[in-house]
Amino acid sequence: MQTAYQIYKRKIFMRNTLVAAAGILLLLAALVVSMNTGYTKLIPSDTFRILFGGGTDAENLILYQFRLPRVILAAMAGAGLALSGCIIQDVTKNPLADPGLLGINAGAGLAVLLYVLFFGTATFLAVFTLPVLALAGAGMTSVLIYLLAFKKGEGTSPIRLILTGIAVQAGIFALTTVLVINLDETRFDFVAMWQAGSIWGSGWKYVLALLPWQMVLIPFVVYRSRVLDVLSLDSCAACGLGVDVEKEQRILLFCAVALAASCVAVSGNISFAGLIAPHMARRLVGPKHSVLLPVCALTGAVTVSAADTFARVIVQPSEIPTGIVTAVLGAPYFIWLLTRK
Amino acid sequence: MKQFFISFFIFSAGIAVLVSLMFLSVSGGSSDIPFSVVRSALLHFDPTDMRHLVVADLRLPRVVASALVGAALSVAGAVMQGTTGNPLADSGLLGLNAGAGFAVALCFAFFPAAGYVYIVFASFAGAAAGAFLVNFVASMRRGGATHMRIVLAGAAVTALLAALSQGIALYFNVAQDIMFWTVGGVAGVGWRQVAVLAPCILAALLTSMLFSRSITVLSFGEEVAKGLGLNVSFVRLVSFVCVTVLAGASVAVVGAVGFVGLIFPHLAKFITGADYRRIIPVSAILGAVMMVLADFASRTLNPPAETPVGAFAALIGVPFFLYLSRRQKRAT
Amino acid sequence: MNSITAENLSAAYEDKLVVDGLDLNIPKGMITSIIGPNGCGKSTVLKTLGRIMKPRNGMVYLNGKDISRLSAKEIAIRMAILPQSPQAPSGLTVGDLVSYGRYPHQRGFGTMKPEDRKIVEWALEVTKLSDLETTAVDNMSGGQRQRVWIAMALAQQTDLILLDEPTTYLDMSYQLEVLELLYRLNREQNCTIAMVLHDLNLAARFSDHMIAIRGGNIVRYGTPEEVMTADVLRKTFRVHAEIVTDPRSGRPACISYDLIRDEGDNS
Repeated sequence: MQTAYQIYKRKIFMRNTLVAAAGILLLLAALVVSMNTGYTKLIPSDTFRILFGGGTDAENLILYQFRLPRVILAAMAGAGLALSGCIIQDVTKNPLADPGLLGINAGAGLAVLLYVLFFGTATFLAVFTLPVLALAGAGMTSVLIYLLAFKKGEGTSPIRLILTGIAVQAGIFALTTVLVINLDETRFDFVAMWQAGSIWGSGWKYVLALLPWQMVLIPFVVYRSRVLDVLSLDSCAACGLGVDVEKEQRILLFCAVALAASCVAVSGNISFAGLIAPHMARRLVGPKHSVLLPVCALTGAVTVSAADTFARVIVQPSEIPTGIVTAVLGAPYFIWLLTRK
Repeated sequence: MKQFFISFFIFSAGIAVLVSLMFLSVSGGSSDIPFSVVRSALLHFDPTDMRHLVVADLRLPRVVASALVGAALSVAGAVMQGTTGNPLADSGLLGLNAGAGFAVALCFAFFPAAGYVYIVFASFAGAAAGAFLVNFVASMRRGGATHMRIVLAGAAVTALLAALSQGIALYFNVAQDIMFWTVGGVAGVGWRQVAVLAPCILAALLTSMLFSRSITVLSFGEEVAKGLGLNVSFVRLVSFVCVTVLAGASVAVVGAVGFVGLIFPHLAKFITGADYRRIIPVSAILGAVMMVLADFASRTLNPPAETPVGAFAALIGVPFFLYLSRRQKRAT
Repeated sequence: MNSITAENLSAAYEDKLVVDGLDLNIPKGMITSIIGPNGCGKSTVLKTLGRIMKPRNGMVYLNGKDISRLSAKEIAIRMAILPQSPQAPSGLTVGDLVSYGRYPHQRGFGTMKPEDRKIVEWALEVTKLSDLETTAVDNMSGGQRQRVWIAMALAQQTDLILLDEPTTYLDMSYQLEVLELLYRLNREQNCTIAMVLHDLNLAARFSDHMIAIRGGNIVRYGTPEEVMTADVLRKTFRVHAEIVTDPRSGRPACISYDLIRDEGDNS
């Protein structure tokens, strides 16, 4: 004899398993397709042959040194940005929030611009220093926004955080404009590509650089999912349930910034993924974070991997930035969401 | 009554400041022209005098355009904030900036030979189309366009159009040209543009002023407004058209200067209270002063190079806005 | 025996002092209602007692312990507080929301143990929500939603519940339903209840103690018979009230009242 509750629980469990399985399958499919596409075409059987050790040197080079790290990087960046967006949306209770709100893109962009301004694009050092600089820029900007929104005795309110975020971003954008105007064409194009969100850090070292951040932060935020559940209620109610609202908000926002900043540092500006992936995930599995967060990481990874594949296919042999594809594919979905429920 | 006097004082003082600033701005620039010459250029124009020509044909239209655009952006923001109940509303929100940007990108990519005036018109058309698209998306569902839905639709449409223009810009290799265009500000404005710009903006400013009482009522909330006998959808429509004309024309000429439309209505509200009959004129004056100032600064700071006006406006406005949002008791 | 004691309590928004030097007791095992005109600081008092607002000055003691020295969780297992018309994220089900009440009792991932589940089931049953467990909270009526939040507070299993106007926006029968539920909890589970109420007659009918507040100060503290007098209501609300004894409940009730005219504020 089953109670209605048990039947319901089973149904939810089935739904979640289904969503997770479908997500993983889609992700794998996106990864395989993505590995096959590019300047040198490979068919899936080739890919598998090379993966299992039967490739020629040239094939090995293409797959292992170029394709595979980039594919993995796209998925990782997608997952990180999506999680970051989800946390920021729930903590600020603003469905439109994305990592850009905390100044991450603006800060990272300014840092990249300053580097290009002073050292140019061709230096060998760029490969190593740019991600670090972007990370620093993003981190500093978010700290600045948080401090400016912080009021003694009251802490920060979500609305003040948003207002401050908008203002600081506008300021940085203005500064960027002033600086960009004076760039020569190569440097300008480099910055423009970065701002449009192209995954340019494609090598194993970037994967390795991103990995520790995600290995630490993703399990940590999933572990905090119960706190996020309670925080997404009214902040008074959360306080009544024994959450130190101010402290937990700070911890979670810090994680969100670290996640997004590390991704943006290697992937450029793909913030739209951070906006739509959480919405997709919420539609699929509802607002409980223990399920929502992992699914959100999946939807983000699938979205960006798919966008990255498209980015390389549409205008071969050149490619367009992944961020643009993400927005062009994502915005209609978002509009469709709006016109429904 | 006290607030009326304060507003009146600010308005008249603002006009005085504006006129003297315009005068100053006309005389300053990459080459300084004495005030006496400016005065004689205005009063007894002599087409053979080189300096008279600079004043009348280069500087004056530009300064007039700055003042118009500043007032237009600021009032567009005020009207939007009043009618949508969203304190963060500005022309960027309605998809105007993104629409204009998209149109400019198309122009540069496909009609590189198009002249200045055509691009301005295309840009205006793009802004209007962007605004229309946002409203269309927001009202597609039953129940019509609520505030929240307009905000969401604005974000989505903006993201889409911005990405498309970025894509076009990078693919056709015109990114930097577009950048120069959008931040170029009022640099290329002559009397021909002002002749098109001025009637549009003045008409829309006047209309907003005429509807300011209705906008005040609408700012109390849709239901209250209906209860007070206001034809809400009509007022919305008129405001929408006004905002599109004001912001569209401005964006077409000076590029995306979103921040002006966001902060000056706030400042005006801070000074004059919640009545849009006072907020609209005061924010118009404040916006105009600010824009003339920004334009002046952008020309004189490091001549002959020009610093983008929009960037200036934002750099002045941001610290101020931050201060304001901290002062506000409960930012709503 | 007091559940909460406040000493010399002051609270302020920005620079505006709302409560200044208040001493207050919430007695254990009883129902206490706080009444007062709009803006008198009654919600502020409740929020400072429930540590949602930090007091500008003074101390709050929960079961004799200084509340500022207790951790958020330690307080939450002793005291539940329900804000006025709280918001739940869309799509959240009744069962999930009520299970958040177990938050202060859980650690780490917070898997629901069988005893947690039992408590949630009990909370749903007491609030008559068992059949609605899988419904989304945002699809419910105002009265049902209020019961869901009360159920969440119940699942917190505290001996003390603070509520800020639990009957706002509810119609007569729902108001009674909520207050009767609180009354039952008090009598059967020996749960201490303190709440802000607007409706004087309901407050008199269901409370053991009443506190009348005006301008951040206590006008009168005592049993309903002591507080519901023409004199206290005149001082608190500036009205002439006609007080009778309700024949059904035996409690005082205000059957009619008028504004006091032509009289200065310092009457």
